[in-house]
Amino acid sequence: MHGISRRGFLELAGIGAATAALAPRPAPAAGKTLTVLHESSFIPPFDEYIKTTLAQQYEKETGVKVVYEVTAVGSLPTRIATITETGTGADITMNLLLNVIQFGEKYVDVTDLCKEIGEKNGGWYDAGREAVVVDGKWKAVPFCNIGQLMNWRTDWFKEVGVAKFPETWEELHEVGKKLKTKGHPFGFELGHGFGDNHGWLYPLLWSYGGHEVEADGKTVVIDSDETARAVDFARKFFQDCVLEDCLGWTDVSNNKAWMAEQISCTNNAESILWFAKKEFPEIAKVTDQAMNPQGPKGRFHLMGAISHSILNFSPVKEEAVAFMRWLMDPKQLGGWYAVADSYYQPTLHAYDNAPMWDVEPRNKPYRDAMATAHLPGWPAPASRQMAESVAKYVVVDMFAKACAGASTKEVIKNAEAQLREIYKSA
Amino acid sequence: MSIRIEPLIALARPPRRAFSLALWLDREAVFGWLMMALPLLFLAAFVGYPFVYGILLSLQDRPVAKPGHFVGLANFVKNFHDPIFWRVAVNTFVYTGVATLLKMVGGLGLALAMNQDFRMKNLVRALLLLPFIVPTVLSTVAWLWMLDPAFSVVNRLLIGLGVPRPGPSWLGNPVLAMFSIIMINTWRGLPFYGITLLAGLQTVPPELYEAATIDGAGGWNRFRYVTLPLLKPIILIVTLFSVIFTFADFQLVYVLTHGGPQNATHLFATYAFDIGMGAGQLGLGASVALTMLPALALLIVALTLYMRRA
Repeated sequence: MHGISRRGFLELAGIGAATAALAPRPAPAAGKTLTVLHESSFIPPFDEYIKTTLAQQYEKETGVKVVYEVTAVGSLPTRIATITETGTGADITMNLLLNVIQFGEKYVDVTDLCKEIGEKNGGWYDAGREAVVVDGKWKAVPFCNIGQLMNWRTDWFKEVGVAKFPETWEELHEVGKKLKTKGHPFGFELGHGFGDNHGWLYPLLWSYGGHEVEADGKTVVIDSDETARAVDFARKFFQDCVLEDCLGWTDVSNNKAWMAEQISCTNNAESILWFAKKEFPEIAKVTDQAMNPQGPKGRFHLMGAISHSILNFSPVKEEAVAFMRWLMDPKQLGGWYAVADSYYQPTLHAYDNAPMWDVEPRNKPYRDAMATAHLPGWPAPASRQMAESVAKYVVVDMFAKACAGASTKEVIKNAEAQLREIYKSA
Repeated sequence: MSIRIEPLIALARPPRRAFSLALWLDREAVFGWLMMALPLLFLAAFVGYPFVYGILLSLQDRPVAKPGHFVGLANFVKNFHDPIFWRVAVNTFVYTGVATLLKMVGGLGLALAMNQDFRMKNLVRALLLLPFIVPTVLSTVAWLWMLDPAFSVVNRLLIGLGVPRPGPSWLGNPVLAMFSIIMINTWRGLPFYGITLLAGLQTVPPELYEAATIDGAGGWNRFRYVTLPLLKPIILIVTLFSVIFTFADFQLVYVLTHGGPQNATHLFATYAFDIGMGAGQLGLGASVALTMLPALALLIVALTLYMRRA
């Protein structure tokens, strides 16, 4: 622990009022309240359902009031950081991608609860577990994956004689070349967004056999022939098939371009089809979705993990565990998943054939993709170094620089130097 | 004399004791400090504390939600070996330098133009402030649309003028992306310069211009020998503010490019945020943010010294 604590310093400065704000919240009296923090959903009925249906039902059954607090998209990590740093603000929080490893120390060990839920529901997907286990302990209850898959225009693909989405990256490249010359380029994000860049670049790297780091989480292995092949492919793919502007894209860009009928293929979550169905039905009719193409070493996807954790300083930990147990029961959980079609793909095998998958059969690849989904630093377990590498866009920029024209050797050398510096602390 | 005064003092003692607080407060030195106490407390709590805490953080290996431990200058050494950090440093200086220069020249021109007499002068002056008033995030989102190659008014115009389709990728090309954020920052900061300098221009006594004209000075010489010297202190102060704002800019880049493409537009503030919040490395993030300090401090001291001498 550092020499002078936060509160110690405040007292030193003589600011009593600020100290009060940082002090742990007193336990609420009878008629307890549970605060659940969630990021605002792209699918509005999803937030509505827990607020109006589940929370009220739970209060009626147990007398515990559930406050479902929504935070803006993109602000969740900052909110959890504030909550864990100050020790107040929520009892249960949603986690995105690598949040569990970042905040795990402040989360309750829910290993037993997860085992119990797993046993009752056909077991967990490996990818679900990968995102919540820290040092052998389950620090969150896996909730779902928001898969990143291929979205493609069936009408334009048909124009170049393709009725089924290509199986391999090389085949996709061939199709893309034809489509770009016909004025229908691909749109794959290579800029500094949060998801749509990592969503296809990590799987591309893996499918050619490249990795950031070994399974030990220490040995940097990005400099390999496999990585070089992936980078070479990306450059050729970008130059022959992709819109130049993609180098500067952030996460909204491909959705915008899709609805403007500017691109014929992209990598995104299900929301692109969901939104098209609502606002642009004509585009929705010619939109289909497919798993990522295969490379020489297989087919991979990025795990867009979402989970729920109980904060270990919460005065209502037991109530929180009870609520999670209740929430994860198929009676409640099934309904909650279903209101969002299949935007949130369950990490429990019990839902593999749930009716939610029949609402929109074009979403089924998102279910099938979970068997090959991993976190960014795979095959290493999630780590703070992995989070740093993602925040510094090491892999994204390695590919982006090559696409912009830099040599394969140079971009890999740069990425390796950066990764070595990052993983030094492992 | 003393014989006469003593009883008076004795008589005066009780009321004087009752009024001693009031008298004490009457002293200017005391009252002045009392007036200062609240703002000082405020500054200590909301500027001083975060600042000192930031320095403490930068000297620790301090992952979010975990206890930190003292590592001395290790974070700064790590930054020193980080190629992105150097890229960010160069970006920040280029961004601040070019944008401030453009704002200074443009703002001066704007002020001179606005100082003329024309119809609806006041309305035009008020409208000029718009870019500065609109929240940065909002205006930046508008720019995001304007710079989009597919829909943008900018590229449509260029294509109309004969530039081949789809036109330049304003945010996809590293050089153009830097150019774009500098332009938008300039657009946003120009009114601040313009209006402040305009206020300065209006304090220049007309007699000076008349005297200069009688002495045979033309437009350029009147500007060079009357306007500019009188405006210099104001230009320096506005530049000081502008440099601080521009150097620590965050919103514009965060919304428009998030530091991309390939870190071409990452600034100290956005990079520090990504490391502190994205990667959860509060200590390392604080060390990146603090690197801004010496450069800024040096500049502020230099400008202040220059102003004092002037």
